[in-house]
Amino acid sequence: MTSPTALLQRKQLTYLRDLLRELVVREMKLRYKRSVLGIVWSLLNPLFQMLVFIFLSRRVLSLDIPNYPSFVFTGVLAWNWFQSTVVATTSAITANRELVRRPGFPMAILPVVTVTTNLIHFLLALPIPLVFLLAGSGRLTSAILVLPLVIALQFALILGLGYLVTTVNVTFRDTQHILAVCFMLLFYMTPVFYDASLVPSRFQIVYHLNPMFHLITAYRAILIRGDLPDFCPLLPLAVLIGVLLWAGYAVFQRASYRFVEEL
Amino acid sequence: MPDAIVVENLGKRFRRYHADRPTTLKEAVLRGLRRMTPVEYFWALHEVSFRIAPGRMVGVVGPNGAGKSTLLRLLGGVGRPDEGQVTVPGRIGALLDLGVGFHPDLTGRENVFINGVIAGLTRREVTRRFDSIVDFAELEDFIDQPMRTYSTGMQMRLGFSVAVHTDPDILLIDEILAVGDLAFQHKCLERIEQFRAEGCTIVLVSHDASAIKRLCDEALWLRHGRLVAYGPADVVARQYAEEMSAETRRRTPATQPIVRTSTGEELRINENRFGSLEMEIIAVRLLNPAGLPVTELNSGDPLQVEIEYTASNSIPEPIFGVTISQEDGQICYDTSTDLDGHRLPTVHGPGQITFHIERLDLIGGQYYVDVGVYEREWAYAYDYHWHVYPLIVRSTGGKKGILRPPHRWEMDGATTRGPIAERRTLR
Repeated sequence: MTSPTALLQRKQLTYLRDLLRELVVREMKLRYKRSVLGIVWSLLNPLFQMLVFIFLSRRVLSLDIPNYPSFVFTGVLAWNWFQSTVVATTSAITANRELVRRPGFPMAILPVVTVTTNLIHFLLALPIPLVFLLAGSGRLTSAILVLPLVIALQFALILGLGYLVTTVNVTFRDTQHILAVCFMLLFYMTPVFYDASLVPSRFQIVYHLNPMFHLITAYRAILIRGDLPDFCPLLPLAVLIGVLLWAGYAVFQRASYRFVEEL
Repeated sequence: MPDAIVVENLGKRFRRYHADRPTTLKEAVLRGLRRMTPVEYFWALHEVSFRIAPGRMVGVVGPNGAGKSTLLRLLGGVGRPDEGQVTVPGRIGALLDLGVGFHPDLTGRENVFINGVIAGLTRREVTRRFDSIVDFAELEDFIDQPMRTYSTGMQMRLGFSVAVHTDPDILLIDEILAVGDLAFQHKCLERIEQFRAEGCTIVLVSHDASAIKRLCDEALWLRHGRLVAYGPADVVARQYAEEMSAETRRRTPATQPIVRTSTGEELRINENRFGSLEMEIIAVRLLNPAGLPVTELNSGDPLQVEIEYTASNSIPEPIFGVTISQEDGQICYDTSTDLDGHRLPTVHGPGQITFHIERLDLIGGQYYVDVGVYEREWAYAYDYHWHVYPLIVRSTGGKKGILRPPHRWEMDGATTRGPIAERRTLR
């Protein structure tokens, strides 16, 4: 027999699931409502970026990295999910005034909606590196089973940051522009189109502090070499991300009562 | 039976910030984080306590800015009280803002689904009730059109329809029944009656005391965020209406000589003219569509009411109102710029505003067009001309009632003509 509270909790979960689904569908529809190419856009962007980097690596920089197309594509894909989602989450509250003002609306779901929508784009593009992998010399191993864990880690990282930036953005509406500058710096400091082994050892410590460095490395281990990722940095990272997510959520909830007044 | 709504010592404080409070991080840093703290606080609601029993319909009256909407929001759980607490155990259906939750780029269908789910229905439940929702809103032909193509009346209809299909225990309604056509208003009221019969608790906000008196069991009167009275609707609404007119009389200067409008009507203070005269109506002209003055017209004809005014000081956001009443004071029609959702700018000096009505479907008889201009929160009248401008409506047939709308009879497919065609043959 289920207790009344358990029943209520299940009802609440059904409600949140339905709500998440409706809102994600809403965001997808809004994004592609007036574009002919629709969802193809989200594939074209990383593909073009990949082509540019391939050109750079062959003709300008002469980087010698095996499987460079899938190497760079994996990096670009993971990075784009990270950057574009954190930037998009900044306006999760400010752009949804009409929802925030609904009685009983659980505002904490809005950043989750943005991150989930972008996760779908990420997943849609994911088969492309797999195709590269199979067409090339790579092999598909059971290491791929670890992939959802890495994706979940990145999801939690983005969401934790998302809660923080969207809270700040309610008071300071220029958060998005400031973030864009930060992300540009961070992009070059993350081995997206080059390999971290090229970095002089005295700078290595900086790289190891960057969560995206570890995540991208893990993606590459799984998708290019078919190896299990190195769990040594991933486990402490998971703990840190857990703390970040908890702190971000707490800050968001504390501030959320103010949102209605400030919008 | 436990109360449906319990409000104890409720207080909501709003922060007022410096006018040039930085809104970007860049500015805030450049100014050394100054001006980020509020310059003052004010209580939008203070020490408000009341209980509402299940199945009651309670109206909230008070001038604009008295805290009515803030109270309704807090009842709905939007925002957090700074003092006291609100306990509402049931499922809330709310119509707080017009079309709230609707996205302009999505179709009516998509919006219904999202709003139903937000209001607490599962997707399956929305699917099951979808036809009924659309049917009630009378929007079958438009439901797959984007929301931005909807008129405010249509949005309101859909919003109301979704709200009443979510099985609320408590329904919160803010002013919006004023939007939409009469027939739909009637339908909404019928539905509200039905809800009440089923034990649903309803809280309705309005600054129209007569509507509250007509519809509600109890009324709650707010002034400057404090509870003035809470009791039987007819008593409280009458008190409120009396205070408003007393305020107008108090502000009416006693020693103003008898003046004539530029169209020759005599205005006598406290007889047919009331108000503080901070802003004056200097002429009112009743015109036909050709722009010629009329004193008589046929039922169903259009009418324009041209109001010439002057304000010696600047008056912020005045409200103009036009009422058509019978000789005995029975009001046949009443509207205002505020009711129609127009916020007028600050006025200073002379000006003119024209009210257009497309059809005046009144039964034949003697009427008066009463015009007024009011303080922006309806606190008192600046100038109100009562039974100064007569209007005779001619119609054929019909002696009882008020309305004479176009109509016809049908019998076995044969059509007999109504007053429109009748008049044509008379001419």
